[in-house]
Amino acid sequence: MELNLSAVLDSWRFLLSGLGVTLLLAAGVTVLSLFSGTLLALGRLYGPRWLSAVIVFYIDSMRAIPVLVVLVWVYFALPIATGLNLPPFWSALLSLSAHLAAYVAEVVRAGIQSVRPGQVRAGMALGMTRAQILRKIVLPQAVVRMLPAFGSLLSLAVKDTAIATVIAVPELMRRADAVAGQTYAPVEVFTTVMILYFIVIFPLTRGIDMIYRRISFLGRS
Amino acid sequence: MTDTLVKLPQGFALPEVVIEYRDVRKQYGEFVALAGVNLEVRRGQVVCLIGPSGSGKSTLLRCTNGLETMTSGEVYFDGMPLSKDPRKTRLIRQRMGMVFQNFELFPHKTALGNIMMGPMTVLGLSEEQARTRAEALLAKVGLSDKAGNYPANLSGGQQQRVAIARALAMEPEVMLFDEPTSALDPETIGEVLNVMKRLADDGMTMVVVTHEMTFARRVADHVVVFANGQIVEQGPPEQIFDAPKTTRTRDFLSHLGWDG
Repeated sequence: MELNLSAVLDSWRFLLSGLGVTLLLAAGVTVLSLFSGTLLALGRLYGPRWLSAVIVFYIDSMRAIPVLVVLVWVYFALPIATGLNLPPFWSALLSLSAHLAAYVAEVVRAGIQSVRPGQVRAGMALGMTRAQILRKIVLPQAVVRMLPAFGSLLSLAVKDTAIATVIAVPELMRRADAVAGQTYAPVEVFTTVMILYFIVIFPLTRGIDMIYRRISFLGRS
Repeated sequence: MTDTLVKLPQGFALPEVVIEYRDVRKQYGEFVALAGVNLEVRRGQVVCLIGPSGSGKSTLLRCTNGLETMTSGEVYFDGMPLSKDPRKTRLIRQRMGMVFQNFELFPHKTALGNIMMGPMTVLGLSEEQARTRAEALLAKVGLSDKAGNYPANLSGGQQQRVAIARALAMEPEVMLFDEPTSALDPETIGEVLNVMKRLADDGMTMVVVTHEMTFARRVADHVVVFANGQIVEQGPPEQIFDAPKTTRTRDFLSHLGWDG
């Protein structure tokens, strides 16, 4: 088999701008899902009972529905059901974040609950309020303890963007599909795509693991 | 506040009562942890609570600052009953320092940062004021050179001394110690007890749950013996250790190998 590298080289700008969209989408999903997932976890742990019931239901359903189904539903069904018509990129951002937030919520909850109750008692004994204890004692330690799990979530955030191709978000996968179709060089193009994803994600997870090994003592009570 | 049986000479007054426990009961389901405890702690006194594990002494200590809720009874601090209102409870906690068996230092803060936490978040001191106070306290517990260390890089004895400094940073009127040396290696117990001894010499009111009989014998003004959630005997250390009045106390002490 002969490799047709020009198929890749001729359209590297096109592919790279796709990677740019992928990274932008992944960054957006990361920020949004971290923010909303943390709120979900706090609501579940400290909110009134009805709120935590609603949140548990939300988390369970998001974990039971494939992310592709959420994405397709937001893009094709949401406009008809509610009249809210989002462009592809925003549909992807919303659905991927909503999905990942459920996993973030579980990680945050586990992190918070893993902090020893004695730490809370130490804060109480100083006369701190519940909110102060959460903000200054529990959360900082929980964040450190969550780091390894966040590494996996971060890689999921990047990888999941690839399915946005089905609603024509011009991200890396979509672009690669187009190039492969025009050049009849799927081996070269998709191998390149694989390598690109790897180059982005591998240092992310490794880096977080390295940081964790350095600072894990900050969460060890 | 209480009637004394002995008629005291004129002009002589016992120091005022700081903490008073009135018929304190605590039940966990069927298990009775405290079966009606009455006790007074006076200003400047060092009161040691001793007795077998599970006899209720730590539970009583935790009821003092509301870390544990009582099933019934009252705890008075400076004449005020411990309230269900969280704001009032916090105000009382600020005036009582507490030291835990497992230190419970904040792992994400340095020794100095641990001590500054209370003054900055609760008392509203500026960072600079809190730092000055923390540095003085670190010197007091002999750990000035460890200011920048995280708890992970301190020995057990050092961690417990930082924990004492952290409690003192709130300038409490009373210090509560919950088995402060039970989690320590034998060789570091002494350094913690020394700090506590100095604190007692400075006139701090202290309630100490301990298994260190030598410490109780030497430092306590008043020793309280617990068994099965009740006080079986209390009195000055000479009485408890040299001439115990109840068989329960004798059994407990002989079980520990105490021979006076």
